[in-house]
Amino acid sequence: MKQTIRMRKSRLSVIALLILLVAPSYAATPEFEIEIRNHLFLPDTLTIPAGVKVKLVIYNRDATPEEFESYELNREKVILGGRKAIVFIGPLAPGEYPFFGEFNPQTALGTILVVADANAAK
Amino acid sequence: MLLNSVVIILREVLEAALLMSVFLASARFLHTRNRWAIWALVTGAIGAVSYGFLLEPVSDLFDGVGQEVCNALLQYGAFASLAAVAFHIPRRSNNLKSSPATIVALMALTLTFAITREGAEVLVYVSGFWDVSDFFSAVALGSVIGACIGFSVGVLIYYLLLAQPVRWALPTSVLLIHLIAGGLASQATRLLIQADWIQAGSPIWDTSSILSEQSLAGQLLYALVGYEASPSGIEVLAYVGSVLIVATAYFAGKFSSQRATADLE
Repeated sequence: MKQTIRMRKSRLSVIALLILLVAPSYAATPEFEIEIRNHLFLPDTLTIPAGVKVKLVIYNRDATPEEFESYELNREKVILGGRKAIVFIGPLAPGEYPFFGEFNPQTALGTILVVADANAAK
Repeated sequence: MLLNSVVIILREVLEAALLMSVFLASARFLHTRNRWAIWALVTGAIGAVSYGFLLEPVSDLFDGVGQEVCNALLQYGAFASLAAVAFHIPRRSNNLKSSPATIVALMALTLTFAITREGAEVLVYVSGFWDVSDFFSAVALGSVIGACIGFSVGVLIYYLLLAQPVRWALPTSVLLIHLIAGGLASQATRLLIQADWIQAGSPIWDTSSILSEQSLAGQLLYALVGYEASPSGIEVLAYVGSVLIVATAYFAGKFSSQRATADLE
């Protein structure tokens, strides 16, 4: 009897752990948009909240492909001409995280500004 | 434009070049013929061109993260075949229990996965400048220079491996195979994090002030052992876990070949 209770308890804790692991993906992920135009990022500074995962939607309005890349964010993704791409970033600590377009690194430059105050992130 | 192309192509070529030089050196120590390398380049090129053309529909899969998922599959594929190579190396070197054909087929498969992924990115980059004739010659020249530098680094590693004392040569290659496998698996995991298929926490350390990923040494280490300045816990776990899997495969191969030798005696 004792054993079944213990087993039930451990099973419950496993379920609780699974819920904890899965739960963050159900929370609404804030979404931010960036455009690539004439090999420039618009806006070139994006402010996002700290400590949460964020969904970036990047529209490439140029005819040529671009690669969204950031060493600080550990992200890289090829975006073909005239297409959009989705990149998830975070959760991040407050700070500045530069990113660039690898195919046009002289002009395509931008920064993700991560701030602790969620209201400032707009 | 010229310098950009050199850097981009070099970064893409470096990984495949390192993998190839380690394989070519190992194949020599195992007394297998090296014609397979040509086939790996051919199948890799076919894979890269196909993937490059399919990148648009692939990118749209899985709500816009198809590119990450496909790249991660290619990386995990390269990792799995690399683990199989690690299993067969001791079986080949101890008592020739594994046939050379098996080993070279697995090496060619690993390289095909690697070249498909890197090659497709090179193609997308270069083709983007196809119509821009002002830039295209610079991009083409830069690409050739970048590829040549990457190739030279590969040749250098190959001869460094061959120049070692016989006793150390194969173990060094095997060690490099472990580290490359760790890099492949952790990169694949990072792609799945980027796609939001795997949940990652905050980075658990940050060594970018000591060794930046942008520096030459950082780039080299990234290509060779998957160096990452600020990894999340799950990436570190993937790295360590994959190195352990390859080590297990290697020792399983060693054990099975030793037992076969004992049975014969």
